[in-house]
Amino acid sequence: MPRVIIHIDMNAFFASVEQQTNPALRGKPIAVIGSNGRTVITTASYEARKYGVKTGMTIWEGKKQCRDLILVVGDNRKYTYTSSRIVSMMHDYTPLVEVYSIDEAFLDVTYSLRYIYNAPERIAYLLKARIKESFGLTCSIGIAPNKLLAKLAGEMRKPDGLTVIRPEDVSRVMENLPVKDLCGIGGRTERRLNVLGIYTCGQLGRFPVKILREKFGIIGERLAQMGKGIDDSPVVPAEEENEVKSVGHSMTLRQDLSDRDDILKYLLQLSEMVGRRARRYSVSGKTVSLYIRFADYLTSFGKQKTLQRHINQSDDIYRAVISILDSVELSQPVRLLGVRLSNLNYHTEQLSLFEEERRKALVAKAMDTINDKFGDFSILFAGLLKNEEKGSRVISPAWRPQGIRNVHVQ
Amino acid sequence: MMQGIPIRVAVIFEPGKKAMPVWFQLNRRQHKVLETTYFWKDKVGETPHFHYAVTDGEALYELIFSPVDQSWTLYRQQTE
Repeated sequence: MPRVIIHIDMNAFFASVEQQTNPALRGKPIAVIGSNGRTVITTASYEARKYGVKTGMTIWEGKKQCRDLILVVGDNRKYTYTSSRIVSMMHDYTPLVEVYSIDEAFLDVTYSLRYIYNAPERIAYLLKARIKESFGLTCSIGIAPNKLLAKLAGEMRKPDGLTVIRPEDVSRVMENLPVKDLCGIGGRTERRLNVLGIYTCGQLGRFPVKILREKFGIIGERLAQMGKGIDDSPVVPAEEENEVKSVGHSMTLRQDLSDRDDILKYLLQLSEMVGRRARRYSVSGKTVSLYIRFADYLTSFGKQKTLQRHINQSDDIYRAVISILDSVELSQPVRLLGVRLSNLNYHTEQLSLFEEERRKALVAKAMDTINDKFGDFSILFAGLLKNEEKGSRVISPAWRPQGIRNVHVQ
Repeated sequence: MMQGIPIRVAVIFEPGKKAMPVWFQLNRRQHKVLETTYFWKDKVGETPHFHYAVTDGEALYELIFSPVDQSWTLYRQQTE
């Protein structure tokens, strides 16, 4: 039985939420930005996109494209709440929901159709109506026999579209479709395919796999399959996702820092954020990494240190990060800092044999309990008191509505 | 921690539906809620907060309801 996969993509998600919140913004070119002074455009409304405003542009670049662009500082909690509610609606139709990002998801409705809903279009229309009714938002939906084609179908009509690619239509749809339209084929791969005389998916599907394998290595075979519209990857619900390989946080600083003590304050904060999330989900890690992006934005540095034992106490992470920092000479002021714990061990909660370690763990537990009850950073290391920005302010692409990837954003 | 001004709000509580602000008082003036434009929830620690973006036709307001102490605060005001 062919699978039936639905792909849902919320249209200009953050910008649409802001336009719903503030009626004065509806129908106008707006761009959602972060609260940090060094922010970039995270989403542009469709009205702004018409002028060429794109995600990732600086405010200056956006304003250059559209003089009347209205800038709106985003409210991450509004977006994570809305996304979680929409994902919850999706679960009313199938347990097989894969959250791809905060505004995109795949649903495998193959088995929902046989007994409950006659056609996948019915599920799509019901979801569209419920999302519109609850939040005033629109989404584009693609329905196809696999994830690759469902995403492709969803991209075909935006905003507020519904496109179905039926199994019998696949080869016709693929024949003249430019290869760059497929998810996973970026500019570089497209240029390399063009060199081989491949411009359309039809050409890609017919091209000798042997040559693709020689040119692209192991993905050569996958490219050939993509050209034919074949994709066997399953829709993976949250509970079946692979365990995360690392826990990390990073932050762009309000101003470049050169002074070691100033840098340490932010490293302590990041260590606490990493440690707290690791402890909340009972994971500990053996490898600590420090990532630094310098003031020129182009130069960066990353180094890691593997320890003798697994750790998740914030001060242990902090100490490891300091030793990495002190092992290098900073060539420029620092713009961005990141701390990561990897080489993870799950479900470990072992009390140390040593009195001092045991007391430290109990203090951390007491702090975590207080912060769980009253909010993050209600009780904190004294060294963090003067930090202006505390907590995560950016929704990571890996954000999920539940589990260890569910980072509480400000 | 979220800071806001405590305010008086008239609300309709209806079984099975979320509370609906009807008017609120700010600077001794009563503002009629013409539309609740958006609603969302978040938590500070264990305390849930219900956010209402409302308009009186002149400005946009963000009201927060805390079900723990049944209090309403005005968190943000933005002239349209």
